[in-house]
Amino acid sequence: MLKMTHLSKVYRTEVVETYALRDFNIDVKEGEFVAVTGPSGSGKTTFLTIAGLLETFTGGEYHLDGVEVSHLDDNARSRIRNEKIGFIFQAFNLIPDLNVFDNVEVPLRYRGMKAPERKQRIMDALERVGLASRAKHYPAELSGGQQQRVAIARALAGSPRLLLADEPTGNLDTQMARGVLELLEEIHREGATIVMVTHDPELAARAQRNVHIIDGQVVDLAEDPRFHTAYAAAAGQVRG
Amino acid sequence: MQIQPILAALRRHKAGTLLIALQIALTLAIVCNALFIIHQRLSHLSEPSGVDEANLFVIENFWGVQYSTQEASSEIKADLAALRQLPAVEDAAPSNSYPLRGGGWDNFISLTPEQIKPTTDASVYISDESLIHTLGVKLIAGRDFTPDEVRDMGTRENIHPPVVIVSKAMADKLFPDGNALGKPLYSMSAEPTVIIGIVERLQREEVNTWSAPFVNQSLIWPMRQAIPIGLYYIVRAKPGQLAAAMQEAPKALYGRNRMRIIDSHDGLLSFAQVRQRAYNRDRGMAVLLGIICVVLLAITGAGIVGLTSFWVGQRRKQIGVRRALGATHRDILHYFLTENLLISLGGIAVGVLLTFGLNLWLVTRFELRVMPLAYVLSGVVILLLLGQGAVFAPALRASRVSPVEATRPV
Ligand SMILES: Nc1ncnc2c1ncn2[C@@H]1O[C@H](COP(=O)(O)OP(=O)(O)O)[C@@H](O)[C@H]1O
Ligand SMILES: [Mg+2]
Repeated sequence: MLKMTHLSKVYRTEVVETYALRDFNIDVKEGEFVAVTGPSGSGKTTFLTIAGLLETFTGGEYHLDGVEVSHLDDNARSRIRNEKIGFIFQAFNLIPDLNVFDNVEVPLRYRGMKAPERKQRIMDALERVGLASRAKHYPAELSGGQQQRVAIARALAGSPRLLLADEPTGNLDTQMARGVLELLEEIHREGATIVMVTHDPELAARAQRNVHIIDGQVVDLAEDPRFHTAYAAAAGQVRG
Repeated sequence: MQIQPILAALRRHKAGTLLIALQIALTLAIVCNALFIIHQRLSHLSEPSGVDEANLFVIENFWGVQYSTQEASSEIKADLAALRQLPAVEDAAPSNSYPLRGGGWDNFISLTPEQIKPTTDASVYISDESLIHTLGVKLIAGRDFTPDEVRDMGTRENIHPPVVIVSKAMADKLFPDGNALGKPLYSMSAEPTVIIGIVERLQREEVNTWSAPFVNQSLIWPMRQAIPIGLYYIVRAKPGQLAAAMQEAPKALYGRNRMRIIDSHDGLLSFAQVRQRAYNRDRGMAVLLGIICVVLLAITGAGIVGLTSFWVGQRRKQIGVRRALGATHRDILHYFLTENLLISLGGIAVGVLLTFGLNLWLVTRFELRVMPLAYVLSGVVILLLLGQGAVFAPALRASRVSPVEATRPV
């Protein structure tokens, strides 16, 4: 589903070059649920933005669903984001000017879907996250957990094959976090591929596979001594 | 098109939306009315006077001596003879005024002597049998005056000429059936004045908007203005010899009789100068209104640019989110263009009402005419184009927001 080989991403500013990813290799199979962990600044978000075609990369190759994406133009990338990928962000990223219904509708409109089908899908998605009764509410009128559920509904409504989540529970308390994770597990059981970045080792443990990133590279947890200190520090931060 | 969610989002930004819509409404109302006034003034400006403007000039003559009526009359005749003798001069006529002078003698005209409310009014030119030839106006019916029909008009005598020549516009106004020749008219007197001739076109002296509907209603009375103050000499040069004639004429007059004043600044005017002066205020008004329109449109355009830029900056995050969810560059561009279109249409709806309201007020207050629909339509088109043009640059900037903005904290 998602295969990166020798991929690199360099951020250049006037003074420095930052290698956010270097010689980055990962292969996520169709239907997998992968949790990505790693210390802050290690390149997790960078990896997700490239995986989700939000950003281009500097070197190497990236095949998404069998297609090498570096040659696609912006319109083609937009279409793939719209049809194949669902995003869930740490900060929810709902559009504050739109109510819940209109928020979930955004990607469906860009797909050019007809109104009756849109309505059907929106209500189904809101039903699944348990917020059908809040369709007319605005994001500001909802709790964090509810907002993240709306974001999940928005990602779900388009029935994406790949769900990318960047610390989806980072802004939520434990109970809400558990609810969100249960939703993701349910979506996964229905066949979607999920890649989730998280700081929380407990949540990571519930995924099928864990991938650890340190200094922009995927490392083997057992063999890399750098990881033990960094992981412990990160885990300590989250708990403390 | 995604009108519903754009409207929904606008409802959350009422202040900015209303402000811009209101600005558009006011601009539409003012620009439409200003354009209408400009057009009226300018169309006025190109109104033909009916006279041979290229070869005409006027001399304003003040007597330096207190002449009696008889003396003044013979002085005038001698002056005219002297002018006609000049090699560059075709003909000359005395007159109390001339078209486009800016003011003059204006009489109420009635069809019967008992009438309380006059039928209409006319500019009155007081001159002799040489005026029609001198002005170069065309006699389309009847005849010119004969020399013995022309009477001397002094200060005291209240004389009424028995015959009159009228402009066609005047004849048509009084006798719409077209049989004016030989008919009497009454002008501030119980004595009838019979129409003996009709000229094709002879514009009035005033050029204000009030007189616009009757701009060509005039008549000529066969009288010589033999009064101590003075009079105008209208002189027609031979073709192409206007400059020479204008040089010779005052010299010839002074040569014949020094006891007169011809003002060095205003006393000698070519008809081109007359026309220039007559419409100076109109032209100035048109330019001023034009500047106001441009400034107003610029301010409105700048307001739209400003507000949209502000909104684009404010919404960078959500633009990034939209891009992440599949919006193309074009989708984002359309979003802002459509948003502006909706605000503009709202403003225009109110603006059209304001436009007609303002016009109505001007009609009742300043006797302006009712605005034709075409003005409102062109105003609407101008404002729509202005809005879309103003919003384009910020919208383009918005469309370039990267989808990665969705993931980065602001
Ligand atoms: N837009 C950017 N410009 C410059 N450096 C960046 C940018 N985005 C990320 N980085 C750098 O890339 C590295 C990886 O960042 P990120 O992927 O956000 O890490 P993580 O999500 O694991 O915390 C960091 O050193 C960060 O400072
Ligand atoms: Mg991150």
